[in-house]
Amino acid sequence: MIALRRSGRRKVARKPAESLGPLQIRWLGAMLVAAQLPQALDVPVWVAAFGIALVALRLWLLSRDRVRPGASPARIPSWALVVFAIGAALLIRASYGYLAGRDPSVAFLFILVGIKFLEARSMRDGTLLVCLGAFLGITPFLFRQSPLSALAVLPALVMVCGTLASLAARTPQSLSIAAPRAAVALTGRLLVQGLPLAAMLFLLFPRLATPLWGLPHASRATTGLSDTMSPGMIAELTQEDAVALRADFDGPPPPPAQRYWRGPVLTRFDGATWSSNYLRIDGAALRGEGATISYTVTLEPNERPWLFALELPATLPRIAEQLSPGDLTITRDQQLLLRRPVGQVMRYVATSSLRDRHPVSERDFAENLRLPRIANPRTLSLARELRERHPDDRALIAAVLAKFRNEDYTYTLAPGVVHRADPVDGFLFDTRRGFCEHYASAFAVLLRAAGIPARIVTGYQGGEMNPRGQYLIVRQSDAHAWVEAVVDGHWQRFDPTGAVSPLRIESGISRALPDAYELPLFSRLTGGWLKDAQWVVDAMNHAWRRHLIGFDRSRQQAVFEALHLDPAQPWQAAGIVMTGAAVWMLGLLGWLAWRRTKRERGSAVWTHLCSRLARAGLPREPHEGPLAYSRRAARRWPRFAIAFNAIGESYAKLRYGAIGGSERDALVATLERAFDVLPPAGRLRGETTG
Amino acid sequence: MSASRALGALAPGFDRWKQRVLRHAAADGRGLVLRHSRIYILPTRRGLALIATIATMLVTSLNYGLALGFLVTFMLTGLVGAALLHTFRNLAGLDVRPASAGETFAGGRVGFALALSGGSRTRASITLTTRDGTTDVVDIDADTLSTLAFELAAPVRGRVPLGRVTIASDYPLGLWRGWAYAHFPLAGMAFPAPESGAPPLPTGRAGADSRAPGRDDEADLSGLRGYQPGDPLQRIAWKAVARGRGWYTKAFESAGGAGAVTLDFAALPDSLTVEEKLSRLVAWVLACERAGRPFALALPGVRIAEGQGREHRRAVLQALALHGPPR
Repeated sequence: MIALRRSGRRKVARKPAESLGPLQIRWLGAMLVAAQLPQALDVPVWVAAFGIALVALRLWLLSRDRVRPGASPARIPSWALVVFAIGAALLIRASYGYLAGRDPSVAFLFILVGIKFLEARSMRDGTLLVCLGAFLGITPFLFRQSPLSALAVLPALVMVCGTLASLAARTPQSLSIAAPRAAVALTGRLLVQGLPLAAMLFLLFPRLATPLWGLPHASRATTGLSDTMSPGMIAELTQEDAVALRADFDGPPPPPAQRYWRGPVLTRFDGATWSSNYLRIDGAALRGEGATISYTVTLEPNERPWLFALELPATLPRIAEQLSPGDLTITRDQQLLLRRPVGQVMRYVATSSLRDRHPVSERDFAENLRLPRIANPRTLSLARELRERHPDDRALIAAVLAKFRNEDYTYTLAPGVVHRADPVDGFLFDTRRGFCEHYASAFAVLLRAAGIPARIVTGYQGGEMNPRGQYLIVRQSDAHAWVEAVVDGHWQRFDPTGAVSPLRIESGISRALPDAYELPLFSRLTGGWLKDAQWVVDAMNHAWRRHLIGFDRSRQQAVFEALHLDPAQPWQAAGIVMTGAAVWMLGLLGWLAWRRTKRERGSAVWTHLCSRLARAGLPREPHEGPLAYSRRAARRWPRFAIAFNAIGESYAKLRYGAIGGSERDALVATLERAFDVLPPAGRLRGETTG
Repeated sequence: MSASRALGALAPGFDRWKQRVLRHAAADGRGLVLRHSRIYILPTRRGLALIATIATMLVTSLNYGLALGFLVTFMLTGLVGAALLHTFRNLAGLDVRPASAGETFAGGRVGFALALSGGSRTRASITLTTRDGTTDVVDIDADTLSTLAFELAAPVRGRVPLGRVTIASDYPLGLWRGWAYAHFPLAGMAFPAPESGAPPLPTGRAGADSRAPGRDDEADLSGLRGYQPGDPLQRIAWKAVARGRGWYTKAFESAGGAGAVTLDFAALPDSLTVEEKLSRLVAWVLACERAGRPFALALPGVRIAEGQGREHRRAVLQALALHGPPR
């Protein structure tokens, strides 16, 4: 099916360009900006501005050179750029305090691509920049792995592909795919076609059990909790809507009153501030006594080394990610500690026993009775007074709780600052307004002063079940503090906040506060479509974290098990990947060929028609086109005139017209149906006479 | 014994294999369609650089446990893999045929032409590399037969084989280079270079049988006769053609002494080398042609009877070009 045009429409190309032309420079610039933008907020402002400005400068120089074609193009000498790069490195070092780390490296790369782009001249520079740009495509995920950040990287991926196309363009046809829209279409096609391979690699490429090199240090605290607590120093608690963790329960979730997520335990008190004692990491998980509950926690990064477990952890949680043994420990006061901060979304499977009491160790006593002698004198005297009235520990505790419940104590998130020197005194006797920290602190101080060992436990209390997905969402606004005290040789949990505001414990913070109080929108919403929309969004978010971000070593092992692969023998997976890649390759080629044959089917029908009519006595003249020939056939066999004309017209359109895919399919269908109407050659020959 | 026999049995197999891989012999006949068995694909330097980048991205994702990093890395891998298939498809099914080979004098350049067609798909950025390393990049439009012309230097007389042609493409992304070898038995001809300042044509009859009587191809115009195929083009009476009177050839009166010439290799002085003799004979062929005189050729082992016209000239020059091995 070759139209013999003697001269052909041969397109002679320009010589393969060895230096970058305006087209390539524009593509490179666009690609670099697209790669820089997703992480512009994660580097210092001056780095972001400088890096992008360098790229913009080159593009501006390019447009200026194009306006004045006679002028020699602006050139920046290479040595100046080396000086530039060293200067940038020094500035980054000054700004971070160190250079050989994750964040400064990203910042340096951010500027480096700009510097390199400024002096890029040869195709080889272009290649280097494409590689750097591709690498910048994954660095945003060092900072966060949200759906939005994944979307933000897509343009860079498209641009990388477009830039490659422009670098390889040497003929009109290959230049045409470097046009923006064509490049987007091409990238889309290639990405979709490569998707099976990508998915297979994603599922089967083995993940590491331990990292190859050191992981970054903590940089920012992003949590409602801290390892110190100074009730009375904070005038108003700002409420954060952000999700702290999500939990999927294997069975039904525990009732709200049992949703205490244990975090940092604070044992030291200096009269104003509670702080934790991390030194005692010699604890052991409690063997599961009584009812245990199993669940999977998806912890948002908090840049702290804490893991949270419901009530009391019954076992050490199983974390799939890169952990070496000993990285996760449990302290004597039953707090889960990680050796490094949680900088990424982390998933772990935990088992807890739903109890509010656990055995006390002898060593706990002295430490949990310590109080500064002179601070909060009124509280100390109240404790002595209570002790005289209630020799029994339980009665004393009940009396304190009754005091909170019956006297005019108010639960509020804006208690105002209390007396600076003796904050517990100030809260108990003067302001009588506070939130969980105030009540827990006052309660613990009273107990210690009365000779009962007591300590503060912080963490989260409550959480909402998402009806769209059946999992528990715990927000930063659910941060809470409660008290453990030794009663009858056991640590027993007491929540003095519950005495003041039972609703806080039972229904969450939004119910515990008057409506006028300003809570973040999502903690406040109780119903309606907006709340429902929020549930849906959060369920999607959770699914994203569970299935995509949370696809780690343990999930991969589940895949291996499902495929009956031995994870200890990676060549099995490699074999599957190879086989899969071969199948993918052949399948894709087959599919592309099938699509092409569809296009060529029209030609096949026409060839058949010509040979059949030739056998029937009406051969096609060499000069005859499809329209003329089919008309001649129609005159010869008028009974089939419609079919002949349909074939001729469809084929001519198919062959010479500029038509789209769907129209082509329709034409091929018409062609084939019309051809089916025609009788075989022998009968056609007979038709002539009849 | 048996080992050498086994080697002997292996040798043709090895040669076949070598031919399959490298296409050293010009065995591709009248043309070929590029199929998977002929197409090789390897990453270009840019492709290697990107693959190295992907490896770096992979290690980074591994170390930091970046699920999205894996996702982007593998999507890029998929893209690179799909690009490989597109490079392959751009070449697969390409129909390559030898079209023509030209002639020149030694020291000149021989023109060749190949005909390429890609069926219903446009083949972009098809690079043709000839044995001397020159390349040409073209697009081949769908449903079109494109002829691609190029020249090869012919420093010595004799056959000028086209040699192995490399048909390559790195379309669409320049990450993979697919290529195939085509080796057609197509050859041009380089005639010996004419001697500059050659002595005048040998006068008189060098051979008794050199003159065919009654032939009217002498120096003075005597009239017109009907055109016969093979008549020299410069003798066509173009004015008559232009006036629409039909095709005529100018006939000349015989003018003293300037008759047919026999160009005899053996008659040349022995002081000349073979190549110099051939060059002189070529110069004389051209001189005869200019003068419109018929000529015959006598080479050791080759005799061409007296004649005139394009075909004759070509036969004579070819015989001279192929006389013995060149220097």
